[in-house]
Amino acid sequence: MSLEEDLARPRWKRWLFNRFVLVPGGIGIIAIVWNAWVFTHNHGTVAGRVVDAKGAPVEGAEVKLWVFNFTTFVEQASTQTKADGSFEFASNPSHNIQLSAEKAGVGRSRIPVRLYFQSEDISLKRPLQLSAAETGK
Amino acid sequence: MSVTAMDSSVARSRFTERRSTRKAVLIWSFLAPSLVIFLLYRILPLAWNVLLSFEAWSPLKPAVFIGFDNYREMFQDDDVFWQALWNTLGIIASAPLGIAIALGLALLVNSNIRGRDVYRTLIFLSYPLMTVAVAIIWRWMFDERVGLINYVARSLHLTDQPIPFLNSFTWALPCVIAANIWQMLGFYMIIILTGLQTIPGNLYEAAEIDGANSFRRFLRITLPLLRPSLFLCFVIGMLNSVTSFDLIYVMTNGGPGHATEILVTYIYKLAFNQTRFDYAAAITVVFFLLLLAVTWGANRLSGGNVGAVEYD
Amino acid sequence: MARQRRHWPIHLVLIAACFVMLVPFYWVLKTSVSGENIFSYPPSIIPRDPHLFYYVDVWYAIPFARYFLNSVVVSVLTIIANVVLNAMAGYSLTQAFAGKQIVLMLFLSCMMIPFQATIIPAYLITGKLGLLDSYLGLALPMFSTIICIFVFKASFDAVPRSLLDAARVDGLSEWLIIWKVMMPLAKAAVATNVILSFIWSWNNFMWPLIATRSQDMQTLPLGLARFISYQEDTTGALYAFCIMVLAPGILLFLLAQKEFVQGLTTGATKG
Repeated sequence: MSLEEDLARPRWKRWLFNRFVLVPGGIGIIAIVWNAWVFTHNHGTVAGRVVDAKGAPVEGAEVKLWVFNFTTFVEQASTQTKADGSFEFASNPSHNIQLSAEKAGVGRSRIPVRLYFQSEDISLKRPLQLSAAETGK
Repeated sequence: MSVTAMDSSVARSRFTERRSTRKAVLIWSFLAPSLVIFLLYRILPLAWNVLLSFEAWSPLKPAVFIGFDNYREMFQDDDVFWQALWNTLGIIASAPLGIAIALGLALLVNSNIRGRDVYRTLIFLSYPLMTVAVAIIWRWMFDERVGLINYVARSLHLTDQPIPFLNSFTWALPCVIAANIWQMLGFYMIIILTGLQTIPGNLYEAAEIDGANSFRRFLRITLPLLRPSLFLCFVIGMLNSVTSFDLIYVMTNGGPGHATEILVTYIYKLAFNQTRFDYAAAITVVFFLLLLAVTWGANRLSGGNVGAVEYD
Repeated sequence: MARQRRHWPIHLVLIAACFVMLVPFYWVLKTSVSGENIFSYPPSIIPRDPHLFYYVDVWYAIPFARYFLNSVVVSVLTIIANVVLNAMAGYSLTQAFAGKQIVLMLFLSCMMIPFQATIIPAYLITGKLGLLDSYLGLALPMFSTIICIFVFKASFDAVPRSLLDAARVDGLSEWLIIWKVMMPLAKAAVATNVILSFIWSWNNFMWPLIATRSQDMQTLPLGLARFISYQEDTTGALYAFCIMVLAPGILLFLLAQKEFVQGLTTGATKG
C-alpha cells in the first residue's frame, strides 16, 4: 500500500486517503464526538433511589454526596429522599464520588460511584439498599 | 540536455570570479545556523566543562582556580564516584550479552520462514518507545509484592520469599541491565539483520560444497563478515546504555544506596541537587574521556572505521 | 512437510522471544484496567472486573492535555528546525568551498560528544540566553543533528550534477535549488530525519528535566516521572498514564513502521 503504487488515482485522493490521514482523522472525529457528548451531559445531576432491606422505597432518608479530595472523601451535599425513595443532586463537581444513605431505625448504606468524566449526569440503576448490619459501624 | 550542460559550463567559466565569492558567502550562511548550534551546545560546553573542572565555582560565588583539587577529591576520597564508575563499566560490559542474544534472534529471523516481518516488528517494538515509560513498566515487573517476575519465581518455587529486586544491593544493577537489554534488543537485531543481508549467499553454497557444517559456516563466514555490524552495535549500545539516565532515574534513582548509580546520574545529582557544578564538571570530563577511550578501542578492535562517516 | 518440520523450532524460539518482548506491555495494560486491588496476591493474569476509571483519574489528576501539547510543540519545533537546518548544511557540504575540511572535522568530532556530557554548561548557557523554561530552550539543543546532516549530504550527492547545473542556468538561486530541486529527490532522507528527530525530542527526558521549572512547561516523559514521585505505585492510575504516554508512540510506529526501521538503521549506520 505504498503511495507510489497507485499513481492512477487523482492527487488529492492520494493525499487524503492514506493511513497517515485516516487514522489521526478517525481519532480526531472520535475525540470531537466524545467532547460533544461530554458538553451536553455535564450538568452534575446524580439521581437514584433508596430502598430498605426488603426492597421497599424509603422516604425521608438522608442521602449525602461525598467527593474524593486528594486522599479522602469529603461531604459535598445532602438531601432527603421523596416518597418514592428517589433523590437527586444537582451539581456534583467530581468524577469519583460516594453516596451514603441513612435513616434511623432502617439502616444505612454507602456505595462508591465512578464516572467517566467530571459532573457526568447519572441515574443509578441499582438503588441504595439500607441494611441494619452496617448501622453498628 | 547536453546543450544545457554545455551552456552551463560556458556560463560557469564566465561568471566564476563573481560567483565564487557570492557562493562562498551563501554556503557559509547555510552552514552558520548548524555551526552555531554545535558551537553553543557541543564545543563550548566541552571547553567550559574542562575549565570548570579546575575551578571552585558555584552560581553565586566568583570562580577560583584550584588546579587539580576536584580530580584529587574524585579519585582519592569519593567512594560514590568509584561505585558509579564501576557500575558504568559493568553496564558497558553487559552490552555483548544483549548483542549475542540479538545475533541469535537475527539469524532465526533471517531464515526463510513465514511471518518474519511480524517477528521483526514485535521484537523491535520496544526500541523507539519512551524510556521513562519502559522504566515504569520494568519497575512494575520487578515489584516485590505483585510483580510478574516475583510471581513466576514463587509459582515455580524458585524462591519462597519475594525478592525486593530493585531494593536489593545484589539484584538492583542486574535488573536495570536486564531492562536496558530488553529495550536495546530489537535495535541490535535490526542492525545485525542489515549486516546479514550484505553477506553474499554464494559463500555459503561454496562452503556447503566443501562439506562445512552449519556451525563451521557460521564461525568461518557469518561471524567474520558480521564483525563491523557487531561492533557498530556495541558502540551504539554502549553509548546508549551508559547515557541511559532516564532508565536509572526512574527505576531506582541510583539506589539502593548507590548500588545502581552511574556516572550520568551522579553528575546530575551533584550539579542539580547539590549545586556542585565544578565537581560535577570534573566528573563529566572523566566520563567523556572514558567514552572516548571505549569507542576508540572498539573501533580499533573492529579493524575499521565503525561509526565513522566516509567523506570525500 | 519436511519444510514444516524443520521450521517449527525456529517459530517456537521466535514466539518465545516475542512473548518476552510483549509480556511487560501486557502486564502494565492489565494493571491499568484491572478492577481488583492491585496489591492482592496472587495477581490475576486476566484483568478482573475491568474498567477504565484509572484513565479518568489520570486525566483529572494531571494536566495531560497540557503535557501532550508541550511535547507536540517541542517535537514539531525540533523536526522543522532539523529538516531545514540539516538540509542547508548537508547541501553546503556537497559543494566545494574553502574551509570544508575544517567543517567536516568539526562535525565529526562533535559527533563524539554525547549530550549527557555537556549538560552543566548547556544549562548555564541556556540560562544566559534566558531560554530556560521556554519551548525554544527545550528544543534548541536538538535543532541540528550531525548524523542527519550526513544523511542529507549522502542523498544530495546522489543527485546528478547536470540537474544542478541546469537549474543554475535557469537562474534558480541556491536557496531555491535546495527546496525545488534537491528536496523532492531526497524524500528518504527527509523521512529519516523526521523520524530520528521526533524520537529524540519526544522521548527526551534529561534535558526537559533540567531546563524546565514550571509545571506548565513539562513534557510527557517529565510528567510521567513526576507522577511517580507523588503517586508512588499505589494506584493503577500510574500504569494508565504509562499506557496513555506509550499509545501515541506505538501507534505512530505501527503506522510508519517501514520508515521507522529504515530511518533508525540509516541513522545508526551513518552515524
